[in-house]
Amino acid sequence: MNKAVSVRTKRVIAALVSVGLLAGISVNTAVAAPKNLARSVVQADWLEKNLDNPDVKIIEVSTEAGLYERGHIKNAVKLNWYTDLVEVVNRDIVAGTRFQKLARAAGINKNSIVVLYGDKNNWFAAWGAWIFNTYGIEDVRLLDGGRVKWEKDGRAFTTTVPTPKDGNFVATKADKSVRATLIRDVLPAVRKKGSSDIVDIRSADEYSGKIFAPAGFQELAVRAGHIPGAVNVPWGSNVNTDGTFKTVAELKKLYSDKGIDGKKPIITYCRIGERSSLTWFVLSEILGYEVKNYDGSWTEYGNGVGNPISNPAGTIWGAA
Amino acid sequence: MGSCLISADTNFDKGGARGATSVEVSTWSKADTLRTVIAAGIVASLLFAAFLLSGKEGTGANAAFSLLLGAALGITLERGRFCFFCIFRDAIEDRDTTPFLSILSAIAVGAVGYAILFGQFLPDTSTDRLPPNAHIGPVSLILVISGLVFGLGMALSGACISGHLYRIGQGSIRGYPALLGSLLGFGLGFKSWNLLYSKSISGAPTSWLPHKFGYAGALLITLIVVAIIALLAIKWGKNSTPIANPVPAALNSVSLRNSLIVTRWRPLTTGAIVGVIGTIAYLRIEPLGVTRQISTTSRTYFEGKSWIPQNLDGLDLMAGCIAVVSDAITNNGWLIIGLVVASFAAALAGNRFKWQQITWRNGLTALLGGIFLGWSSMIALGCTVGVLLSGTQSFALSGWVFFATVFFGSWMGIKLKLHKI
Repeated sequence: MNKAVSVRTKRVIAALVSVGLLAGISVNTAVAAPKNLARSVVQADWLEKNLDNPDVKIIEVSTEAGLYERGHIKNAVKLNWYTDLVEVVNRDIVAGTRFQKLARAAGINKNSIVVLYGDKNNWFAAWGAWIFNTYGIEDVRLLDGGRVKWEKDGRAFTTTVPTPKDGNFVATKADKSVRATLIRDVLPAVRKKGSSDIVDIRSADEYSGKIFAPAGFQELAVRAGHIPGAVNVPWGSNVNTDGTFKTVAELKKLYSDKGIDGKKPIITYCRIGERSSLTWFVLSEILGYEVKNYDGSWTEYGNGVGNPISNPAGTIWGAA
Repeated sequence: MGSCLISADTNFDKGGARGATSVEVSTWSKADTLRTVIAAGIVASLLFAAFLLSGKEGTGANAAFSLLLGAALGITLERGRFCFFCIFRDAIEDRDTTPFLSILSAIAVGAVGYAILFGQFLPDTSTDRLPPNAHIGPVSLILVISGLVFGLGMALSGACISGHLYRIGQGSIRGYPALLGSLLGFGLGFKSWNLLYSKSISGAPTSWLPHKFGYAGALLITLIVVAIIALLAIKWGKNSTPIANPVPAALNSVSLRNSLIVTRWRPLTTGAIVGVIGTIAYLRIEPLGVTRQISTTSRTYFEGKSWIPQNLDGLDLMAGCIAVVSDAITNNGWLIIGLVVASFAAALAGNRFKWQQITWRNGLTALLGGIFLGWSSMIALGCTVGVLLSGTQSFALSGWVFFATVFFGSWMGIKLKLHKI
């Protein structure tokens, strides 16, 4: 009997030790290096255990007004996409100085692990991740499945707003290697065929030029079609029906089937650059390719006088 | 009694003539039992419908909650006779201002609730941000005009929009042409929106008291204003009914039934419940309002007919009971369904359900008044619930301007005897 007890004790100790080891390992991964491929997506279980971890800073970026206020993940700070993360008047990404202030107010330090989540398959949370990367936060991750999955899994929300201590994060200069501009990147890529892969993440009908924009969207270009040479991989194909990201293997195959294997630099775009930031995240942060998100996107490119376009459907603005 | 046919002041004993010591004990007949059982069955089926809805993926839970909010509101409006026009008319025509206090009570209680929520939703009032979804609208000449038109529409049709909704549950027939009229009125509103927006609304200030005074200051100001209006109202009320119902001699099943389903709920209690429902609605779904679904139905229909512009300038960025283009039932639609059905149950249990008579004449005035109501609540971004109540409760100047102008519009309507046409 004594023996049995001691065996059990040993087992328990062994179990505890291995749990401890695992915990140690997971703590290590928590502070792992940036650009950590599939680890740039955190699972809800992990986040639930790290809600109070002072190194983990949680940020909600949702599109629907009032969602955060009526319930959010514990200790999450809200950032508003269209006022906090862009310059509204100039149509530009948020200026570095303003971003640094926001990030510090959210308690972000130089070595923080920033976990973003939001509604609609992390649509705008991914924009946030792109901006955070642009200004040099080194460990930026998205919560797999975003807000919807978290809620569906029956995990807790709170209405309590955290009051974090100011962080010491210092914004770097905007990183040009993740942002494409018309003159510097997109037009040269179009002129020099085959120098870059361009991914159009809009719907097939927008890509083919059948329609100018989906019903209900206000931002328009007066031309239909796509950037010459772009391949069409609608953004929804990055995720499963529950909003979680597909596996690395599935994602690799999804893009390699379209001829995108990361050997060439990639440019992603949509209408105004927000949905394409999700594809940017997949290609850059999950697959580790060299990718720039083109935030001017079709509303800049398609409206630009003289920019060459491809318009298979031949739809012309104003023509019957 | 003008057009408030159902308003029968069942239960405020005027002047307390029948003594204030005990409630008149009504006899409980078999028919009462039957009616009460049916009403309980209706309420139970509302609860079950909410249960079924809540299982629907995505928006199900919010739809279910909206249905329950609507049911609570329907019972409260019916039991407290919380009909803005009847309340105004009692004050203006009969100089009975007791019912008026229910509106003030709703504003005061709701303002406390909103202050609590705002403190959490938008802790810092020093920026120019506004709390999400709150009904804080631009204050323009157009708002003044729409308030006046709304008041006239109330007089002409016999009630405001929420009034028509709960009175449909009491057997009102005029409510139907009035609601049909408001659908048309919304269409006219959409048609005139872009012009009014560019001429006046776009440049109008959106004034929110906490921006200047913080939450404590805004709440204090609101409560002081409410208190002053209450004092004035009490002074004006020469024939006011007593604020409290007679206290039952003993608390037993008969007196309980009487106070719950027979006698009219006290104005301060009714208003307080409306204020609490408003606070909960804002906490969980959106500010209380009853026109978003009507507006949505109208916009979807007329847009389908290409009768109104596809682009309504600036509208989607405003706060209020704003239409979306949708064929699905919105949360607000579920709220309205709950409101009407629960009001019917409450009226049935208390034996107040009675088909109202309709004539060509009062049917047409209801339709015309409804058009007024629809146009003005489109332009004002809501009605007496969405702009007046939810607006004042959320410290919006627009709510107070609408309150004053709707009251003045009703006063004009009553003086012009529009409600007696």
